[in-house]
Amino acid sequence: MRKEVIGPFQLFAMIVLFELGTAVVVPIGLESGHAVWISILLALPGGILLYLVFADLYRQFPDLVISGYTRKILGRWIGWPLSLLYLPVLMYNGSRNLREAGDLLISSTYDRTPIFIINSIMVIAVMYILYKGIEVFSRTAEIYFWLIVIMGLVSNFVVIISGLVHLKNLFPIHPGEWLEALGSAYPSIWIFPYGELVCFTAILPHFSTRNKVKKTGIGAIALSAFLLSFTHAVEMSVLGTDIYSRTTFPMFTTITLVNVANFIQRLDAIVILTLIIGVFFKMSIYCYAAVSIAADLFNVKEPRRLVIPVGVVVLFSSFVSAENYPMHLKDGIAFLKYILPFMCAVIPILLFLVHRFRRRFGLYK
Amino acid sequence: MRTKLIGLLTLYLGVSVLLTGCWNSRELNDLAIVSGIGMDKLDDEDGYRVTFQIINPTSSAPSTGASSSQPPVMVISSTDRTIFGALRKASRRMTRQLFFAHTQLMIVGEPLARSGINNLFDIFERSHELRLNTTVLIAKNSDAASVLKLLTALETQPSTGLVKKTQNTSRVWGENRRIGVFEVINGITGEGDFTINGIQIIGSAEEGKKKSSLEQTEAPAGSIMSGLGVFKNGKLISWLNGPESRGTQWLLDKLEETSVNIDSLDRNKDISVNVFYSKTSVKVDLQEGKPVFHIHIREEGSINEAGSFVDLSKEEELEKLKKELAEQTASEVKMALKAAQEKRSDIFNFGNELKRTHPELWKTVKKDWNSVFAEGELDLQVDAYIRGTGMRLKPYFPVEKRE
Repeated sequence: MRKEVIGPFQLFAMIVLFELGTAVVVPIGLESGHAVWISILLALPGGILLYLVFADLYRQFPDLVISGYTRKILGRWIGWPLSLLYLPVLMYNGSRNLREAGDLLISSTYDRTPIFIINSIMVIAVMYILYKGIEVFSRTAEIYFWLIVIMGLVSNFVVIISGLVHLKNLFPIHPGEWLEALGSAYPSIWIFPYGELVCFTAILPHFSTRNKVKKTGIGAIALSAFLLSFTHAVEMSVLGTDIYSRTTFPMFTTITLVNVANFIQRLDAIVILTLIIGVFFKMSIYCYAAVSIAADLFNVKEPRRLVIPVGVVVLFSSFVSAENYPMHLKDGIAFLKYILPFMCAVIPILLFLVHRFRRRFGLYK
Repeated sequence: MRTKLIGLLTLYLGVSVLLTGCWNSRELNDLAIVSGIGMDKLDDEDGYRVTFQIINPTSSAPSTGASSSQPPVMVISSTDRTIFGALRKASRRMTRQLFFAHTQLMIVGEPLARSGINNLFDIFERSHELRLNTTVLIAKNSDAASVLKLLTALETQPSTGLVKKTQNTSRVWGENRRIGVFEVINGITGEGDFTINGIQIIGSAEEGKKKSSLEQTEAPAGSIMSGLGVFKNGKLISWLNGPESRGTQWLLDKLEETSVNIDSLDRNKDISVNVFYSKTSVKVDLQEGKPVFHIHIREEGSINEAGSFVDLSKEEELEKLKKELAEQTASEVKMALKAAQEKRSDIFNFGNELKRTHPELWKTVKKDWNSVFAEGELDLQVDAYIRGTGMRLKPYFPVEKRE
């Protein structure tokens, strides 16, 4: 069978959609108050460095997913169990995205639809596209990238022209707040959403032009950082620190305030679509990473056969994992603090260093 | 082949059932669209009397043919400790489920406003049907229910009428501004106090309920926007009227357009200036523990009417009028500040401004800001410009001879 390949722009679109995913709709980096948009930008260099680590590992082992080179670098006996850890983390994180989408949809629009129905419809779509393969998925991303960009432009435009933006809510930033912004940038925003790019270690082996991997990735991460920062700055300037910090869905609250000439109002549908599209891509990439790592670890020849099991696990863990949304958020804080940094940053950096070390001293046979 | 076809057919049928998305459906003929909500205090027990103004679809449609004799809205009340409880309890009187996505107006009765409104707005944040840009009004000297029961001329929907009235007077007269749930919540959570527009019933509230009241040239009842209610710690403590109220809008930089009467050479207040642009910048700092409010107002207006002779082709005449306009503005601003300082109630966002720009100074006065605010001094500078004189320079009447 021909190897599936994805082009530079497709990778670019996938990274942007993945980064925006849920981060654009949920409040992030709450500790930094009204300087959240600064935090997002401050975390950008760290995010790019982390991506360069992934990209470098990819260039050393262009045909392997992360579990493959983990075994090469650390040896079979450490590498295999360590890579096995990725599976529950990726699936759990995928299910968290699904849960967030489901809960936000229920509390904002579909108040009487069971979460099971909403989540399973989304999972069915994810399973379908993954079954079709990464090429189809990346072409879809190419299309939806433009859709998201256009919707983003439209909604930011209407928010601005309806006169809701109060720059007073963003400025001035006092010296102490720069420190707070830095504190919430590292590690929490650095890991979510930038660190989550670790999923792309499973997608990069399909990339067509090896020497463009750094340029494409950095461009995509920088673009998504600016979009994220801008969107959150707009939300913060409209809502103010107090409402922003209490709302579960700041983007939705912002758009409900829009009223242009008593005529353009209730643009909630745009936000709901952004949420659904973003979560669809983010979750699909998580599931894809889980599928390809599992296939690699257990020597499954046809990874497609793992799509359905992974999808079902993600679906069920999405609503079994937490009793309600506040508990889900509480779990998320612990998960972001203790588990994700280990998987997203510590292991890849460790691999990178060990690999350099072994090559330097000729420890590979 | 045949089994495949059957399989496909079942799939399509199944998908078409799923994809319609009817799980959450509520049909229009099962909904009662609520256009306004009124909140009142109960006399002898805790809880609220919540009044819903519901659109009557048959009589509000612009129908050709026989017009319905029903009024365009119906009003029902129910009582409960919570708003949500009250609206669900209302189902005992309603044939349809109440639907809130089109609610534009919330009225709070004065007795309830006096006892505190801080806890009323949670449902507006939490619910996805209610909107944060719902207009909020305080029913001055009456309960909210009576205001919701009034019918309005010109507008079929009374709630829409009241919302439009707020917008209209905010835009051209400037004693009120658009205040919605969003602004009220920001006022409650921010430092200092806040104001909400008042609405007052004029005429007979009983007559105003009847559709026949609209069949006269002068309706026996109506409502009028009347000043701003000052809320301290969430409780209504006083009303600002007229110039105080307009001065407040000036200080808050919310003045869109207004008309100011200024003195001419020989008569008081007989030249009307239409102020069509006004921009206020506010800086607050502490000097020896006392706050100083540096206010700079820049306004532009045009002369729309002169009640006595004034030669507008002369520069020095215009200079005088400019000065008059600036003085008139300054006096209203001072009145507003004085009224607020007497009540020790910072309704001008000065506390928020100090906190935003000088957080370290704010910490020193945070505890007793109300009394510190009352001691505050005003450093006011008004730059007024007259940009136009309409279609004439000199009026048609000559200088009146002074006796």
